[in-house]
Amino acid sequence: MNPLLPPPPAPRPADLASEEIAFRDWVRRVVKGAAELQAFEAGEIDAVIDPATGSAVLLPGAQAALLSSSRLALSALEALPGELCVLNASGTVVMTNRAWRASVATRAGGGPGIREGGDFIAACREASAPERVHAEAFATGLQNVLAGGREVFRRECVCRSAGGRYAFTLTIAGVAHDGAVLAVVTRETVSERKRAGGPRRSGRARASRIAALARAGTPNRLLAALPAKDYEQLLPGLEPIKLTYGEVLYEPGEQMQYVYFPNNCLVSLLTVVEGHRALEVGLVGREGMIGSRLALGITASPVRALVQGTGSAVRMKSARFLQAFRHSPALQRVLFRFTDALMLQVTQTAACNRFHVVESRLARWLLMTRERVPSGEFYLTHEFLADMLGVRRVGVTSAASALQRQKLIRYRRGVITILDQQGLEAAACSCYRHVQIMGLEAAT
Amino acid sequence: MASKRTKASAPGVPIATVVVMRLYVAGAAPNSIKAITNLRAICRRYLKDCYKLEIVDVCEHPRRALDDGVLVTPSLAKVSPAPISNVIGNLSDTRSVLAALGVPAIEIE
Repeated sequence: MNPLLPPPPAPRPADLASEEIAFRDWVRRVVKGAAELQAFEAGEIDAVIDPATGSAVLLPGAQAALLSSSRLALSALEALPGELCVLNASGTVVMTNRAWRASVATRAGGGPGIREGGDFIAACREASAPERVHAEAFATGLQNVLAGGREVFRRECVCRSAGGRYAFTLTIAGVAHDGAVLAVVTRETVSERKRAGGPRRSGRARASRIAALARAGTPNRLLAALPAKDYEQLLPGLEPIKLTYGEVLYEPGEQMQYVYFPNNCLVSLLTVVEGHRALEVGLVGREGMIGSRLALGITASPVRALVQGTGSAVRMKSARFLQAFRHSPALQRVLFRFTDALMLQVTQTAACNRFHVVESRLARWLLMTRERVPSGEFYLTHEFLADMLGVRRVGVTSAASALQRQKLIRYRRGVITILDQQGLEAAACSCYRHVQIMGLEAAT
Repeated sequence: MASKRTKASAPGVPIATVVVMRLYVAGAAPNSIKAITNLRAICRRYLKDCYKLEIVDVCEHPRRALDDGVLVTPSLAKVSPAPISNVIGNLSDTRSVLAALGVPAIEIE
């Protein structure tokens, strides 16, 4: 405060009282419902939406509480040891924290050293060697983030200067605020040791690390749940394969030559009745495997395993898999849990087929499919769905039409698109929740 | 065979429905925080997994609240199953929340 100026007059209690009365009158004019007014009088309201401006007006109590939590958040950012600045939609620095300002004052470690009010993009474009290449990339990355093209841009840079070699990571993350996208920029110094990946590893340790990386990258959740050491044992026997819609992996009674781990394909387990009619009893996607019966010591398949969603998988010879299974307690644990989840799914499906209406079952089936493949769109004919649900074709047609009328799905030329996941969940029978929760719990 | 299948899947058996709700709040304002806490406790105790809850922050999406006819927060809207209903305030009165949701006050073990 300027000491030469007199302090502003403190608001008199009478002014505050009249302001509050005017505000309360305004609220009573805007809010007309009895329940709303009752909650307002009881002090249970935080905000009123002003229909004239379309914005939320906070009540004084809520405003004070939010202001206090904003102050806390700002203090926390200020005290953060990492360097951080916030840019507005045009790339101007609107906020920096203490660590950023300190780093700018003694800038020796590289990266854009821009103060509040500075233009980040212009500073990057004007950067001189040795940082020019990186600075250009920062500017492009920032423009991408601000335009909503990507959520996060991250780049690790190594530069040489007269003072020696230095490395840092710059991360730019987009944040939605008041209808615009802001960018939060953080700069982290990378030590030489971290860059080298820590202490030197032995050949064996390096192989484990590679296996861990490969395991982390596999979309199949059953394989991803294995410890790196156990996954490493399986890795040489795993063979990538494409499974195509309509392909039969096993017929009932047939020896299972391979086990399959779906990545993004979907396999139905069908019980064949009277040699021709088939009814789906289970559905396996990236959360599990086909051929888990081997774990119980049975080498013949009891069901028909039919690919109903084209995609990739990995497969392994059954004999080799059994060998690995015998020697890996972790694989046994994971597999028993999956088998249990599958049994739960089969029993729930059996009850569902008997008790629930076709529409709910179709909704449940679509949701289960959605859960197991990364897309919300599947190619499925009415005949196929009729077989899956064990009903006549006409039953599927009317159930699909009902879901379509409610705008939950779109069905066009055999392609089903889920439009409203939440609505479909509400339309599905309770079995979906049981299978979903049990399945997920057991598979993770 | 076919007629049997159709009969087997005929309606008549009660199906547990999922209660879909939307809670409109104003950021981390005190009543909004209370409403979220109270509602989560009610859902845990009386609805177990049979619910879907969406929380809409009117400070970020005021237009959404206006379009849904919501003028004050916290405000809970039951979206489905019909009939739709609303509860205004911090949801500390469990009985009125359950009545609005159409859920009997029987705890789920």
